[in-house]
Amino acid sequence: MKYFNVKILAMTASLALLAGCSGDDGAVGPQGPQGEQGPTGPTGPTGPTGPTGPTGPTGPEGPQSGVAAYNLTMLNLTHGQPMAPTAFIAHEPNFHAFSAANSATLGLEVLAEGGDPSMFINEASDAVEYLDAVSSSGILMPGMSTDIVTLIVPVLDADNLRLTVASMLVDTNDAFAGVDSTDISNLAVGQSMIITLPTWDAGTELNTETADSMPGPAAANAGGGGAAAGFAAARDDLVDAVRIHAGVVTSANANDPSREGLPTSVLDQSDKFDNPSARVLVTRTR
Amino acid sequence: MKITKIAALTALVLGSVSIAQAVELNITITNLTQGNYFTPRLVVAHTDAADVFEVGTTASSALAWLAEAGVIDDAQEPASSGQNFEALLGPADTDNGSNTWHRFGGLVPPATSLSYPFDTMDKPLLSIASMLIPTNDAFVGLDSIEIPTTPGTYHYYLNAYDAGTELNDELNSTRTDITGVGGTALGGYAAPGVAGAGAPPIAPSMSVGGTGVAVTVGESADGTSIGANEVIDGTDGPVHIHRNTLGDTSATDGASDLNSTVHRWLNPVARVTIVVPSA
Repeated sequence: MKYFNVKILAMTASLALLAGCSGDDGAVGPQGPQGEQGPTGPTGPTGPTGPTGPTGPTGPEGPQSGVAAYNLTMLNLTHGQPMAPTAFIAHEPNFHAFSAANSATLGLEVLAEGGDPSMFINEASDAVEYLDAVSSSGILMPGMSTDIVTLIVPVLDADNLRLTVASMLVDTNDAFAGVDSTDISNLAVGQSMIITLPTWDAGTELNTETADSMPGPAAANAGGGGAAAGFAAARDDLVDAVRIHAGVVTSANANDPSREGLPTSVLDQSDKFDNPSARVLVTRTR
Repeated sequence: MKITKIAALTALVLGSVSIAQAVELNITITNLTQGNYFTPRLVVAHTDAADVFEVGTTASSALAWLAEAGVIDDAQEPASSGQNFEALLGPADTDNGSNTWHRFGGLVPPATSLSYPFDTMDKPLLSIASMLIPTNDAFVGLDSIEIPTTPGTYHYYLNAYDAGTELNDELNSTRTDITGVGGTALGGYAAPGVAGAGAPPIAPSMSVGGTGVAVTVGESADGTSIGANEVIDGTDGPVHIHRNTLGDTSATDGASDLNSTVHRWLNPVARVTIVVPSA
């Protein structure tokens, strides 16, 4: 019985081999078009690695396809600040999704106060300089890296390419790790670069550090947090302009003689951060 | 011998080229803080023979005037004559050999930008310094960067330094309930208290009643006897990265007369953008 089984298997294998051999010579081969080197075979004209196949020279993923691709991942460098889904935007020069000393767009306000990057990305996609954008999924805990995401741009843009990144620190009022239009031009395929991100204050919400004004777990543990504590349309900060974040004050020493802390704050020493707060690794893959 | 000759020739050629290309840079200074103003900016193009500040070394009297009082030249404050950057570097807007410098007047408010044209007179290095107010002796500095020569836009992120020439008492210099030792007024060069406290843009954010941060009113670090309402000045090291202000959230007591929700910062505190024009 055992012997018989093996025999049948061996026969099947040789049949398969025969079938496989049938296309060895491709279109002009004796037995037709479906073989390894045939028109639709693996290396045939339209096969997976053939001239116009998916990874062939002129295929959509091939070296002459006219696109450059970049894999990106962001590492959260803070001690205790979870980060919201991260927006990665590839664009041409002279576009600024945010910029220091200028007031935030509504999309940035929504990203920085509530953590949702979708409007920020939508705003960017309206710009003529826009090329591609993607956001990471889920909350990025301290010390962790996002999943690898991919941006695809016309290969002609690879020699003058800019990257914008933004992600909310969720245990804050409106802090975000970000970089505005940093130069990632002239990466060769296979080459990588590292970009460090400072922490910005969107300037759209006063830093009260209260449970009802921050969406993250620190606020949730104090009975607030969540979407209701995220975006608020009012602009009530010291200055309605993006600048480097001054750090969270926390409630430490709020009631001792120094009066250093902020009595309304639900944050403590573990929520503090310094710059840089995140790091992005960019690798050109084609 | 041959090598020296070639090197000399190259230097000559380069020299004549750079003279022909004397360029006017466009310099933008962006205040990245949320609650500190920049005093008038000292912008200096210089050679190795001039230095505005050096971390790890004791501040010059010129840097102390800039960092404690925001003063760069005689026109701003006659009492600084002979001790300020004008005395150290020579007259403004002049080729002083080792340097040329300009004072860009007025304040740069938090989260704003100002741009200026600046003729480097072909000096290779650039330094910038400006006091942060209200602080005791914090300044933002750019230390001897090589001026780029290829046309383009260049960004530099600047840190806040502590000049080390005054203790960080964080006391409001408009207060009259406390004084320096011997009844001297607070504020400015060689006096305790934060500079700029009385200036209109600063005053609303300042409080009173603080007992002092790095030094306490009525006490001296070395046990010297001082009056109960006096605060003593002192030094706190060579030029170093500022450890940030502490501040507090009380308008009438606490340790500090600065506000911990307004007057703190994290580095970088400024961005300098240099545009080198096409020839």
